[in-house]
Amino acid sequence: MVDLNNVSESLQRGDAEKVEELVRGALGENLLPKDILENGLIKGMDIIGAKFKKNEVYVPEVLIAARAMHAGMSILRPKLAETGVKNIGTVAVGTVKGDLHDIGKNLVIMMLEGAGFEVIDLGIDVPVDKFVEAVTKYKLNVLGMSALLTTTMIQMQEVIKAISDAGLRDKVKIMIGGAPITQNYADQIGADGYSPDAASAVDKAKTFIA
Amino acid sequence: MVKGGIEGGKYRLLSNEEIKMIHETSLKILQQTGIKSENEEILSHFSKIGAEVDLGKRIIKFSPALVEDAINKASSKILLCGREEKNDLTLEGKKVYCGTGGAALNVLDLETGERRESRLKDIADIAKLVDALDNIHFYLRPVVAQDISPEFLDVNKYYAALSNTSKHVMGSAYTVESALKVISIAEEIAGGKEKLRERPIISFITSFMKSPLQLADPTVLVLMKIAEEGIPVALSTAPMAGSTSPVTLAGTLAQVNAEQLCGMVLVQSINPGTPVIYGAIPTIADMQTMNFLDGAIELGILAAGAAQLAQYYNFPHYAWGGLTDSKIPDIQAGYEKGMNLVMAALAGANYIHNAAGMLESTTTVAYEQYVIDNEIIGMAMRALQGIEVNEDTLAFKVINKVGPGGNYLAETHTVQHMRSELFFPKVSDRSLREEWVSKGSKDARERAKEIAKNILATHKPLSIPSEVDRKIKSSIKGLKNI
Repeated sequence: MVDLNNVSESLQRGDAEKVEELVRGALGENLLPKDILENGLIKGMDIIGAKFKKNEVYVPEVLIAARAMHAGMSILRPKLAETGVKNIGTVAVGTVKGDLHDIGKNLVIMMLEGAGFEVIDLGIDVPVDKFVEAVTKYKLNVLGMSALLTTTMIQMQEVIKAISDAGLRDKVKIMIGGAPITQNYADQIGADGYSPDAASAVDKAKTFIA
Repeated sequence: MVKGGIEGGKYRLLSNEEIKMIHETSLKILQQTGIKSENEEILSHFSKIGAEVDLGKRIIKFSPALVEDAINKASSKILLCGREEKNDLTLEGKKVYCGTGGAALNVLDLETGERRESRLKDIADIAKLVDALDNIHFYLRPVVAQDISPEFLDVNKYYAALSNTSKHVMGSAYTVESALKVISIAEEIAGGKEKLRERPIISFITSFMKSPLQLADPTVLVLMKIAEEGIPVALSTAPMAGSTSPVTLAGTLAQVNAEQLCGMVLVQSINPGTPVIYGAIPTIADMQTMNFLDGAIELGILAAGAAQLAQYYNFPHYAWGGLTDSKIPDIQAGYEKGMNLVMAALAGANYIHNAAGMLESTTTVAYEQYVIDNEIIGMAMRALQGIEVNEDTLAFKVINKVGPGGNYLAETHTVQHMRSELFFPKVSDRSLREEWVSKGSKDARERAKEIAKNILATHKPLSIPSEVDRKIKSSIKGLKNI
């Protein structure tokens, strides 16, 4: 009998293999996919998230837990779809044109995946039209853009303008982030959200799919 | 948290040749200039143990052989215990511990921020605060309890400290009688006379010398009694270069070293092998006022030099660092403390006192300053740890695994090593501006005050068993309930 607390605990330790094994076992015992998700995987991530906010664990520990979450989800996702449980949301994230920096973007992706989002990594140096195309191609709830350089951040404005021109602005929430970005800048260019770090990016994204 | 007892000593100011030159000058001072005492008992003691005493001039002169003999008898390793073993300190070699110190007269009140007279309750409250601050390794009584009459001061300060922290407690005693009372309190807590000698939960500091080269006779009598009792004791001499020692730092070291060696001869002649800590703590005088200076960079340089001398003799070293002349926990306090603490620590000084809480040339303490200094000490201890090099830390496996263009964010290697490789500050703010603004745009001092208030409201130090407490209070007169 698979104990879902074990799933949660293995996930908190970042033991991806164990999580996979336990999720497979739980499905084999005909536990409901929704139960496995909520009382196993999400429960574990919630505990890690709370500890992170209290500075008891740090980003790398959150990430290895997120990776374990991702591993569990890869097995659970098809079953969830079969039983009609939807993803909590789909997000695409990319670093804007002219900018090759990706550590922050990758961090946000890992954290979003850990929170149960389906995430599409658009990569680095992403041209404007690729962002626009992603909105319909993946039926995005949220589009995220990242920039490290003050010289490339202006690309964000171009992307938002192009999405509006394509008549898609009301189909997607747009979030931006990166070292030089501020809430002020986000307001100025008409982005829906800004977050100063990866953990709060997840919180922000959650507000958009509620 | 970075545990105490990490090895320093990689910072070497003096060459072996220079240390020898200082040592030889100290011997010359002891042999030719001598040390003064006005007390017959002390003079006759030195005469009995083979020093050359001029009763007319009241000068004691020491042959190099007498000094060498004391150096050889002195212990090179001293155990100072806490009421809990996890707080024990082993003073030896280049191991570094940092703690509080001083006999300040003023406190910056944690609620009002105003400067006020220090009281017994401050000794208790600061002990409680220090008990919870991981990087402060021992508790040397920081303030004078001005609400207690001199007769009952020593017993009260020790008991207030011992009751509120399980870290090692050091203090002073004004008279032989009160020293003996303090020892009896500690024996009661430790579980008897022998137990206290095995696990000394208290020790004494004696400012036995008035620089230059004159014994502070009343304190010397206390020192002689403590040595007889076999309780750990630190010798302390604090000359100021330019007023009570030569303005040259080398000359100051030679003089303070001579003063310390005189103390070693005295203590070893009373009780060979008794745990005595070399306590050279020189600084400089302010050339504008001739006042004592604490925040001077020369204090750090001299602490590092004195540490090398102590290591030359294999004496455990009572040192200082983390001091300032600033009146409040401000920028001056930060840079002065940081600079002179790190110098003493990197030199491998064993028992660095005054490293926490102290302000205004050791006349004032502030609660929030203990919290800030806990962080400075943590950083200094991390600096001592240096860089660990082995196959695992060289990390070739993970470098090869991550490869070009990857990242180390979610690697097990990162999770396994981050807590030991990196120092995690509690006071420093590393957040982005927006978050900092949303939390009230507080500076380090404000944040430290909040931490201090929280500790005082919630921390519960290991208490003294109630039957022991009852017994002590019934046998020692004048103990206050706080």
